[in-house]
Amino acid sequence: MADLTLPTTLATPDWLAGLPDAGSLPEVLEQALNSPAHRERWKYTKPGPFIAATQHPMIDPDISGESQNGVALNQSIDAPLAGFDLDQAPEAIARLCYADHVMTLDVSASTNEPIVLSHTGNTRPLLVRVAAGVSLTLLETADASDDAQQSIWIDLAPNARVQHSRNALNDAPSHWQYLNVRLQAGAQYQLNNHVAGCGSRRQDVHIIMDGQGAEATLVSAGKVDGNMALDQQVTLEHRQPRGQSKQTIHNIVANGGKCTFNGRIHIHEGAAGTDAQLSNKNLGMGEHATINTKPELEIYTDDVSCSHGATVGTISQDALFYLTSRGIDRTAAEALLSQGFLRQCINGPLADQALTALVGRAREES
Amino acid sequence: MSLLNVSDLHASVVTDDGAQPILKGLTLEVKPGEVHAIMGPNGSGKSTLANVLSGRPGYTVNSGTATLDGQGLLELEPFERAQLGLFLAFQYPVEIPGVSNMEFLKASIDSLARARGEEQPNTATFMKQVRELAGSLDLDPAFLKRGVNEGFSGGEKKRNEIMQLLLLQPKLALLDETDSGLDIDALKVVAEGVNRYRSAENGVVLITHYQRLLDYIVPDFVHVLSHGKIIESGDKTLALELEAKGYAWLT
Repeated sequence: MADLTLPTTLATPDWLAGLPDAGSLPEVLEQALNSPAHRERWKYTKPGPFIAATQHPMIDPDISGESQNGVALNQSIDAPLAGFDLDQAPEAIARLCYADHVMTLDVSASTNEPIVLSHTGNTRPLLVRVAAGVSLTLLETADASDDAQQSIWIDLAPNARVQHSRNALNDAPSHWQYLNVRLQAGAQYQLNNHVAGCGSRRQDVHIIMDGQGAEATLVSAGKVDGNMALDQQVTLEHRQPRGQSKQTIHNIVANGGKCTFNGRIHIHEGAAGTDAQLSNKNLGMGEHATINTKPELEIYTDDVSCSHGATVGTISQDALFYLTSRGIDRTAAEALLSQGFLRQCINGPLADQALTALVGRAREES
Repeated sequence: MSLLNVSDLHASVVTDDGAQPILKGLTLEVKPGEVHAIMGPNGSGKSTLANVLSGRPGYTVNSGTATLDGQGLLELEPFERAQLGLFLAFQYPVEIPGVSNMEFLKASIDSLARARGEEQPNTATFMKQVRELAGSLDLDPAFLKRGVNEGFSGGEKKRNEIMQLLLLQPKLALLDETDSGLDIDALKVVAEGVNRYRSAENGVVLITHYQRLLDYIVPDFVHVLSHGKIIESGDKTLALELEAKGYAWLT
């Protein structure tokens, strides 16, 4: 891989200028881009087109629910989020610099209705700040048919709760979603992610447990069929004690599809009493599916409970025999099993649309 | 006319060390209305018989025949055997997360109806019937919404097998050690379910290790399987004799 470089010289926006290192931002980003750990994240997907597209023109996402009491949507920002780190996600920081403006959503009171974001194209970066003790339901759909990118930062103040559902089921030549979530003490964050492959889809998720007793749950169902690709890179950092995180990611890869998953859990020194779990299961179907999966653990403290595993397999022959022994033909039984595999990870307010797109049938009432 | 006719069946299980012959000339005839118990020591081939008849992968039939209602079973796919009217109650029912019990049962009953050219049952009526059946077997109807056998206790899994037996109404039921792992109360519930299923038209092959189940499901015939063959047949008193003397006096 050649050196990773940003497309043009970038100007540091005023609101980032106060950060340490901001004076040498281009160098910081180039260095971060080319660090061995970061290059590893681009091992299975060509980074060039994604990095080049960070400077493409941007539009606002369609937003609804923003006029509720306690919600303020602005098209400017005066200061970076607390804990903002220029070293992380150089592509996403570059996008912040290229954007003509950045959107901010401040939520200072619990909302009755969800806030809905629809990305119909290449949308501007969004910073979401959820005040202490406030609950928010955030629904997000990717609806672009052309190349598009999204970059979102969510900051949860102490005891804030965010229920985030995200569907990326659109067909586009390329699509990149960057999501950064920072949880302060006692905050709770849940992401229900439903995703289909597209020409080349990349999802980066970085969750930072930055306060004691924070809880994060990530549940993701993906289907990559035909000549589609999906690359998911998840980093979960436990920086403070007694955090709990649970990640469950199921992907079906079929008929020449290509799927990459990298799940890194980093437990910092002093984050005692952490409970971190990650499970990534991949089901290969049809011919020539490519699956790369890598769970990574870095633990710098004792007294943690951590489990993580990745499996790659095909449909269970025992389960198949059980279903067919009840008169269900093989094709129907395989369909039931693959649907069941994904359905375990399809939940939340956007589940119905995801079930239709990924499983091909709505949830049956019983 | 016989319902199940197994004649001189030789079959092997496929292992890493090659094919191991297990069934070595097994012959068995079940007529409508009959219950046959097959007993035998560990390794005698009891479960292999159930697996070979129902078409589980991993077994090779070397020679012999098996018919259900006069139709050959051994060339058929497992689902085709089920559609002909064969049912296997599993010794170890499989857990299938993500596929709800109700969805599974509906898929099954619809497949069987289609194969027989019958109308598929109305969903609401069907669900009511399943809930009632579950209740009659001491199964919490809430289980029906959960994944197939997911998180069920051993006893619940076995009762779920019997519920499927009562729902699907096959011509012939093969019960593979359905009594294993059951306490006495669960055993009675399971036996009561099998007795409810019994009719003048259908047949039961009860594979069991212990005589205890036969106190509750009274067989018409008892066979002793040893080294892949039936070496002794009799009525229910044979089971009592086995209980008293063990298998050694026969084998």
